[in-house]
Amino acid sequence: MKTKENPMTDTPSSVEKPTDPAIESGLERLTPDRIQQVIQDVLKKETGPRFKAYVETCMHCGLCAEACPYFLSNDRDPQFMPAAKVKNTIWEMLKKNGNVSKDFLRRAVRISHLECNVCKRCSMYCPFGIDIAYMMLLVRRICHKLEITPQYIQDTVNSHSVTLNQMWVKDDEWIDTLQWQEEDARDEFEDLEIPLDKMGADIMYSVIAPEPKFQAGLIYQAATMMHAAGINWTMPSTPGWDNSNMAMYTGDNEISGRIARAFFETAAKLRVKRIVMGECGHAFRSVYDMGNRWNSWVMPPFEVVHALAFYHELLTEGRITIKEKYKKKVTLHDPCNVSRGRGLHDKAREVVNMVCEDFVDMVPNREHNYCCGAGGGVINCGPPYKGERMVNNRVKAEQLAATGAEVLIAPCHNCHSGLEDIVHHYDLKMEIKFLGDLIYETMDKKIYTPGA
Amino acid sequence: MSEKTSWDWETELKEIPFNEWKTHFNWVQAPQVSQNGESIAAVVNLDEMVFSVCVNGQVWEEEYEKIWSLTSVSDSGFAAFVARDEEWTLSVNGQEWTHWCDFIWQMMKSLDGQFLGAAFQTDSEYGVIVNDTPWEDRYENLTGAVMAADGTSAAVVQVVPMPGADVEAFKKGVFSVACNGVPEDRRFLNIWDISFDTAGRQMGYGVRTDRESYGIVQNDTLWKNRFESVWKPEFLDENSLLAPVRINGKWQLYKNDAPFWQNKYDQLWHLTLSPDGKDVAAIVSAPYGRWRVAVNDTVWHVAWDTMISDIYFSQDGSSLAAVYKHKDVWDLAVNQTPWQMAADMVFVPCLSQDGSVVAVVIQKKGQYQLVVNKKTMASGFSFMADPVISADGSKVLLKGIENGIYKRRIIRV
Ligand code: SF4
Ligand code: SF4
Ligand code: SF4
Repeated sequence: MKTKENPMTDTPSSVEKPTDPAIESGLERLTPDRIQQVIQDVLKKETGPRFKAYVETCMHCGLCAEACPYFLSNDRDPQFMPAAKVKNTIWEMLKKNGNVSKDFLRRAVRISHLECNVCKRCSMYCPFGIDIAYMMLLVRRICHKLEITPQYIQDTVNSHSVTLNQMWVKDDEWIDTLQWQEEDARDEFEDLEIPLDKMGADIMYSVIAPEPKFQAGLIYQAATMMHAAGINWTMPSTPGWDNSNMAMYTGDNEISGRIARAFFETAAKLRVKRIVMGECGHAFRSVYDMGNRWNSWVMPPFEVVHALAFYHELLTEGRITIKEKYKKKVTLHDPCNVSRGRGLHDKAREVVNMVCEDFVDMVPNREHNYCCGAGGGVINCGPPYKGERMVNNRVKAEQLAATGAEVLIAPCHNCHSGLEDIVHHYDLKMEIKFLGDLIYETMDKKIYTPGA
Repeated sequence: MSEKTSWDWETELKEIPFNEWKTHFNWVQAPQVSQNGESIAAVVNLDEMVFSVCVNGQVWEEEYEKIWSLTSVSDSGFAAFVARDEEWTLSVNGQEWTHWCDFIWQMMKSLDGQFLGAAFQTDSEYGVIVNDTPWEDRYENLTGAVMAADGTSAAVVQVVPMPGADVEAFKKGVFSVACNGVPEDRRFLNIWDISFDTAGRQMGYGVRTDRESYGIVQNDTLWKNRFESVWKPEFLDENSLLAPVRINGKWQLYKNDAPFWQNKYDQLWHLTLSPDGKDVAAIVSAPYGRWRVAVNDTVWHVAWDTMISDIYFSQDGSSLAAVYKHKDVWDLAVNQTPWQMAADMVFVPCLSQDGSVVAVVIQKKGQYQLVVNKKTMASGFSFMADPVISADGSKVLLKGIENGIYKRRIIRV
């Protein structure tokens, strides 16, 4: 494989470890008492039988190691074994009853935020199904309470807390962007509407903040599809439109719950029947699993349909027809949160095959796929950590290269950005696309008429 | 709601052909119906980037590049945000306000229709405008604008600049509440959910004072207690502020910084006060994942598995209605009795003054129906606005579209 400056041989020790001002100033403020009290509190009040069972069951057999992309990407360096990550964080905290040093915490922040993407792959390899990701999130929760969360991801949580979206998108900027996309999309359908706050619509379409901020064209594409498919849909003009949830990844459960509440109550206020969300993995985890539960919603109060499943529905019902299939050789990245987390991988393949002529699978794939190493909060820790993220993703780069595909489909925003970095860093010469990009490109731009 | 007595409650049926509009315009957006049901309006497209509002077949004189947020105001009117030459304002019944800005959103209206307000932005500065009078002070950012019945307005504003990703600046608190444009002294990390008392004189809201501590501000004074989280407070009267607060993972209702309800719930939100101020209701989860209505800290015996979206008291406080979802279908319950409608959607119910009549619009298989006291009074509509009950409770006003014709029907109960 051709590489730039031979990145395949980078090792963790050869990449510079940045100093994070938020971690450092947070550590500075801490006292041994405070550290101990926070850790004891979390362990006592916020862990239950599940945590106890995990701690008591692990036999340190190391079978989970083979599963972890960080371990594999770092030449099987034992410190990246999932069990080692637990041992060097939460077990030690438990053993020492919270009496741990600042140096220990500095390492724990890194392990939990940068060396584990909470992808849950290891759980499938552990004979007891021990959920390492859960324990890493518990460490992140402790870091949140100690106020030593890395700067950039903390900033996204701050944004969530103020604006209820991830990127400080102001209320007017959001609406203005939708209207601008609507105007542009009228080049294709002169009567196209992005209906704002339409009471009683069948579907509320929700996206994540990077769309209005950087990729407004995706909203244009979605509007085109909705219009062509004759869907009775709406988008909210009010906060609650962003389905992402970085607070879930920093352990700020209180803000995470607030975000999930706003999201579902926006749907309730608009009296829609279901929610369709754009191509995003972690948001799905938030509204389907974590954010809802904090609010006492055992299951999400509205059916939440991931874009993958929605495309499947539109295509199989004939609401959207493909004019001419996409020709280039494509491969598909299975986002952990929608494949491993939600089992949408077969539907995804069916959609890809309906849209593309030449599909090649990655190996391993489906629920066994390697994570992008980005979306579990790692990429959100920001540019300072990009170098090591690239090293920690080598196995993903190798997997991509082996497909020989020209186009990589990544139906998840964070995966998309993470994979883009990988493709550039390892000079893989692949184009990265959302599934929606391909459907938009190949679909017949005519309006669906029932029974036609 | 005294105006309701002046409405026409006698004429059984009035009709306006609505679908026909589609032949006059390039396209017609979703309809809005006036409160008294005498008018139906929609944003219509006349040409490329040329929009207006059509009311009962008559088009507003002015034309605009963009129009959004068409809303019924007062008995028979409509307001909308309108844009010309990339500037925005609000138009009421075709009359533009004199102030134009770079963007305008979040329409707020007082119940009696006397006051109309919105948030606005000009040259990247933010404020609130009420009845065409904008705040004098402008801010870098503004969220959560609210307006009291007397037109007093407030919002959360950013009072200190904060460079991108500056988590240290955020930690010090850069947000404050501005009332009629004037900021309060105290700053917080976050401020949410401003509530006014009925007179519009007192304010209560939720705040975060550090990463983990939440509090309630009541008339400039921060409660002493700190909580794990808080939800929107409501004034019981001018001296008492209620707020759901989270302590050790459970929710409890506090009043003036002390426990008010004794029970602790897995969730407690949507505080709703009876108009006479005697009863306090809320949506609660008890036990975890089971949703109930609690009135004065006593829960209804019925519980649902998915969600209660909203609750409503009758004017006299004798009836309480809850819109809820259970086993994948929506329904309404009044005073603990489920109507068992198995609807695809239930809209906002209308309760008569004395609570004896409840009318609600539902959707089933894509069609709208009007249900009054559990009985289906009309179905097969392609659209219905929320119904209104006459002051004496004897009649229900149906406002809907059937076979392309808008119908204003009076139904005797
Ligand atoms: S959750 Fe994923 S990244 Fe974390 S230890 Fe397990 S396999 Fe590795
Ligand atoms: S595979 Fe399971 S039991 Fe073995 S070390 Fe990993 S977590 Fe522990
Ligand atoms: S970004 Fe995508 S692959 Fe990565 S953790 Fe999310 S869902 Fe998994």
